[in-house]
Amino acid sequence: MMLRVSSEFAGTAAALGAITEGQNVDSGVPGQAGLISLVEASLDADRSGELPAARVQVEAELGAAALVDAAAVIGNFERMTRIADGTGIPLDEPVAAMSADLREDLGINGFGSADRTPAIGWFKQQLFRLLGPMVIRRMARQMNSD
Amino acid sequence: MQSEAAAPYFSYSNSPWPIRADLREAFLYTWDMLARPGSWLIGAERVQIAREVRQARTCALCARRKAALSPYAEQGTHDGDHGTLTDMQVDVVHRLVTDPSRLTERWLTDVAASGIRIEAYVEILSVVVAVVAIDAFHRTLGFELETLPEPVAGEPTGYRPAAAEAGGAWVPMVPLEKVSAEDADIYAGMGRAANVISAMSVVPDGVRMLRTQSAVMYLEVTDVANASRNGGRSLSRPQIELTAARVSAMNDCFY
Repeated sequence: MMLRVSSEFAGTAAALGAITEGQNVDSGVPGQAGLISLVEASLDADRSGELPAARVQVEAELGAAALVDAAAVIGNFERMTRIADGTGIPLDEPVAAMSADLREDLGINGFGSADRTPAIGWFKQQLFRLLGPMVIRRMARQMNSD
Repeated sequence: MQSEAAAPYFSYSNSPWPIRADLREAFLYTWDMLARPGSWLIGAERVQIAREVRQARTCALCARRKAALSPYAEQGTHDGDHGTLTDMQVDVVHRLVTDPSRLTERWLTDVAASGIRIEAYVEILSVVVAVVAIDAFHRTLGFELETLPEPVAGEPTGYRPAAAEAGGAWVPMVPLEKVSAEDADIYAGMGRAANVISAMSVVPDGVRMLRTQSAVMYLEVTDVANASRNGGRSLSRPQIELTAARVSAMNDCFY
């Protein structure tokens, strides 16, 4: 969801399919090719041989500091995913409501851990389906004015 | 904690890229916390858990389980030298490292029934995830994994926040509005605590390690909800979030 909101703020809504489909979808986020390659080579042991080339690509496209920052983000979310899956926490309700359509579109509801989050009632779903995009754009404008 | 000049860990002197000082400071803090007795585990156990995190990555049993339709289909012994950890403690670490998305509440109930109290499980989790994060950083940049610290002698504190309560997750958590003055720092600056921050709050030091690492590896937790913030990084916020989301998706993490 934060990719959606942050990209709205930046002025160009990202194509979110890149989250689940990697390079098969152009998110419109600059540097996607190197960043996705770095993630996939880092997480997939069978592709670890691709890491040197991925590092070169990220550094060439985004710079050395960005490469280090990207590695840090990868480490961070290797941690956070295990906290979530290791404790059985559900999605926080506002996030669950705001992301219902997004999760459906990306097929995330098919993840095994999805059943930890209670289903959002029909009324709330419809409410956020209608108001969600407007709320996100408003959040982006408000953040821009900070 | 040792002074920066004297600390033998995370020197990065041979790194081809500049490594931010705040990353190094957070990693040194983690290593210091790792070596010390925790709430339920002694230092030697905590360091051995860190060692297991690394052993899990090349464990043949874990590889078979990951490939199997059910994580319970494969039985056997985990590879490596396990020190004084029990078989269940080793299994907990290996599953958290290699197949976390298929963990279930039933599994955790079995863990508790084996004699590992739930608070100790959360402490194991807090050590596992702290080491996973740093090791992933090193692996991504092609660095050798950092040498583990020497354990510090001493007994666990046995500290359990009185306000920790069941509900909403598989583990007890401390609600933000009930956190004690002693532990108030774990929710400092937060008007509302996301579940992923509260998740390890029954072991407050686990949250402290999380917030210390997260602030330099991602964002200060208080900045996460503001999509205009990028923590001063060289990546834009959309680039940060794309990277984060791809990691999460590859881990089949619904949250």
